[in-house]
Order: sequence, then C-alpha cells, then structure tokens
Amino acid sequence: MITNTGDYVLLMLRVFTKPQKGRIFWQRLMEEIQGLGIESIGIVAFISAFMGAVVAIQTAYNIDSPFIPLSMVGFTVRQSVILEFSPTIISLILAGKVGSRIASEIGTMRVTEQIDALEIMGVNSANYLIFPKVVASMLINPVLIVLSMWMGILGGWLAMSAFGLVTTTDYVRGLRIDFEVFTIFYALLKTLAFAFIISTVSGFYGYKTNGGALEVGQASTKAVVVSSILIILFNLVLTQLLLT
Amino acid sequence: MIEAIEVNKIFGGHHVLKNISCSFEKGKTNLIIGQSGSGKTVLMKCLVGLYEVDGGKILYDDRNFSRMNFEQRKNLRQEIGMLFQGGALFDYMTVEQNVMFPLNMFTGQTKEEKLNRVNFVLTRVNLENVNNLMPSELSGGMRKRVAIARAISMNPKYLFCDEPNSGLDPQTSGVIDKLIKEITDEYGITTIVNTHDMNSVLSIGDTVAFIYNSELWWKGDKNTILHSDNKELNEFVFGTELTSRLKQ
Repeated sequence: MITNTGDYVLLMLRVFTKPQKGRIFWQRLMEEIQGLGIESIGIVAFISAFMGAVVAIQTAYNIDSPFIPLSMVGFTVRQSVILEFSPTIISLILAGKVGSRIASEIGTMRVTEQIDALEIMGVNSANYLIFPKVVASMLINPVLIVLSMWMGILGGWLAMSAFGLVTTTDYVRGLRIDFEVFTIFYALLKTLAFAFIISTVSGFYGYKTNGGALEVGQASTKAVVVSSILIILFNLVLTQLLLT
Repeated sequence: MIEAIEVNKIFGGHHVLKNISCSFEKGKTNLIIGQSGSGKTVLMKCLVGLYEVDGGKILYDDRNFSRMNFEQRKNLRQEIGMLFQGGALFDYMTVEQNVMFPLNMFTGQTKEEKLNRVNFVLTRVNLENVNNLMPSELSGGMRKRVAIARAISMNPKYLFCDEPNSGLDPQTSGVIDKLIKEITDEYGITTIVNTHDMNSVLSIGDTVAFIYNSELWWKGDKNTILHSDNKELNEFVFGTELTSRLKQ
C-alpha cells in the first residue's frame, strides 16, 4: 500500500504539468467530457428518478402519525437526495462506470505499447492521457450531480402524484422547508473530491497495468474497488469537516 | 551512430543484459538477433530509454543519453522513430490522425502542410486511400506500414524496429524489410532492427549483433553470418528445418 501510494504521488507529479500543446489538450478535454460525462447522463437520470420515487414512497408509507405533516415527504426527499444520495451514491455508480472505462482504456494502451509509442515520441504520456480525464471529470461530474438532484426530486413528485399519496402543494412545501444553499455547496464540494478520486485512481491503475488482457481486467476491477473505498472514507471525512 | 557501452540491466536479481558493448552505424540497417528471452528487446528498450540501464551508457552521436534529463530526452526523442511489434497505432484515431499525431504535437505546420506530409509518407510506404480507415480495419502488414509512416513522419535520425515481421506471412515480411532498407538508405538513418527472422538477416543485415545468454556473443554482417564457426550462432541460424537443409 505504501509503495502504491508513493507510485500514485509520483505519477500525479507527471500528470499535473502544463500540457505540451494547448489546442490538443482542449480537443482531448472535449472528447473526455463527451465520453465520461455526456454518455453518463442517461444512467444518472434513470437511477436518480427511481431512487427519488422510492424514497418518497417509503417516507409517505412510514408517516402514520397525524401530527407529522405530509410535507415531510418533500423535505425528506430533498435532504436525502441533496446531502447523500446524489453526491455519494451517484459518485459510486460513476466510479463503476467511468472508473472502469478509464482504467481499461489506459490499461489497454499500456499492454498494446501505445503508451510506449507516446513516450518514444517525447510526449508526457501521463499528462496527455490522464490530465484531460481529471479535468473533464471535475467539470462534468458536478453537472451530473445537479441533474441527479433535479431528477431525484422530480421522481419523488411523480411517484406521489401518480399514487395520490401526497399533493403537489404539500410536496413542494416540504421541499422549501428550512432550505439552506450551503447543502448544495456541500454536495458539490464532495462531488469534486470524488471526481478527483475516481479519475486519478482509475488513471493510476490503468497506467501501471503490466501484462495482457487478464491484467487489464484486474486493473479495472482494482480501480473501481479502490475508488469506491476512498469515496466512502472521504465521504465521512468531508461530512465531518463541512457539517460540524 | 548509436553506441551502447558496457550496458547492464538487472530485473529482480536476474541479469538480463551483461556488459553489452555495441555500435550501430549511421545509414545502415543494424540487426540485433537472438532467441526469444535472450535480452534483445530489453536492449532495444534500454537504447530508447523505456528502461533505465543499471550500468554503462548509451551515446547518440556522442550525446550521453543515460545522463540526459527529462527535457533533453524529450528533445532527442523527436529525432527517434520507432516501429513496435504490434504497430502500437492509437486505436481511437484514423490512419491520417495517427500519422499526423507527431506533427500536431511537435511542429507549428499548417493543416495543409501536415496533410501533405502525411500523404507523402503514406505514399512512401505504398499506402493510398487509407487516410480515413481505423487501425482495426487494416491488415497486419498495412498496420506495420502505417506505423512505419508514423515513425518517419518527423524525418527521424534514428529508427528502431522491434520484430517488424512478427505475425506476417513471408511475402509481406519481405515487403516490410525492403521498405525499412529503402528508407534507411534514402534518408541516411541509423536503423536498429530486432528480429529472429533469418530472411531479414540475410536480406537487410548490414551489421548483425547476436545476443546469447544476455551477452553480445557475435558481431558481423549478412555475408559473414553463414560462415561463422561460432557454435551457438550456428545453432540459431541453422535451427530451422529449412535453413539446416539449405546448409546441407
């Protein structure tokens, strides 16, 4: 683990340098935003809407006291979606989808000598391959998380309307109770940290792949597992730091 | 000229290269031959700096490559072209984008100039109308030729070819060998080829270095290799049914 951490730091020193050619960096950045972000919109929207609906239904069925207003459903959906579900759970899903993609893409380039070819040409391969992915993740993941928040809240409202459990007025009133803008800031800050973890850890495992197809698969699995563990750990640390 | 002087490389206690001293001449195709696992690929990777040497030094026209910092190596590498065993074409780029890649990275040429250069080198390797194909749409021989085109797109002074004939039929191998030889002669490049293909040795081996048991065992050329009395070299050269029958 100490060796891996040392290797990770050394690799990051090579990653975070000025790109050799600005125009090519921008081109790569746009491609990565498309590949890592735009192509994840569907899965993020789908999962968020259904999870928001499930949270709303569970809350509505568990309110059996007449002293608890039905607007609590909207409040609960908002709080759970903004504080935890969107930034953390969606980041874990992205660690699986995006992390495995990054690790397998770079790992395959390693075992087919494409990274060696870049090095021979005099290209800083770590910077060329990983830096645009890190920047793209940190730009697009907050957008995905905000989308996820909207979809989660929308899913909750649709479920309540469809099953007639809570009126739209109560639901919206609940959404507005004690709303603090800081919770959005907190969620986006966590998202940025998780995006950094996903892209750099996956890039690291892909880059240090050695061997063949089997090792590419192993690198991809390791990238997802380690990213997920780090997201859970940093979630605790950031929550403690930001909310207390 | 490229010189390896007392080069040593150790992997996990195993001595993969032992005091290899060898020079590779300008304007010639310099072949490194040897059995699989003899250390020839490691030697080539040491020469281009993909592996750091554990002892000795490597000189590129008297410039000590082993002592260069990252920036100096980066500059020198723009004088190097390399053909990898599998081609190592970027599989998310078209043929044109692959060949244009070094030009995009290291020159300030206009789009038109770069396109002219790409078309010139592709024509040079006998490939036309393939600009928009992806590497996955090419045959093995075509991939190798695109890789050669990419390697020479920056007018390199040094060309490295790691087993350029692996996975190719004898006829296509001959075409690739001929191409490497022509390019070397035409541009006066210092070319180093790693191979265990005896056809290549006999057709393009201006100089031949035989690596055996991690050591430089024999050095000569395509004319002297068949008449050597070196036992290990003869076992390697006449190791196949075809070459042993030819010898008889």
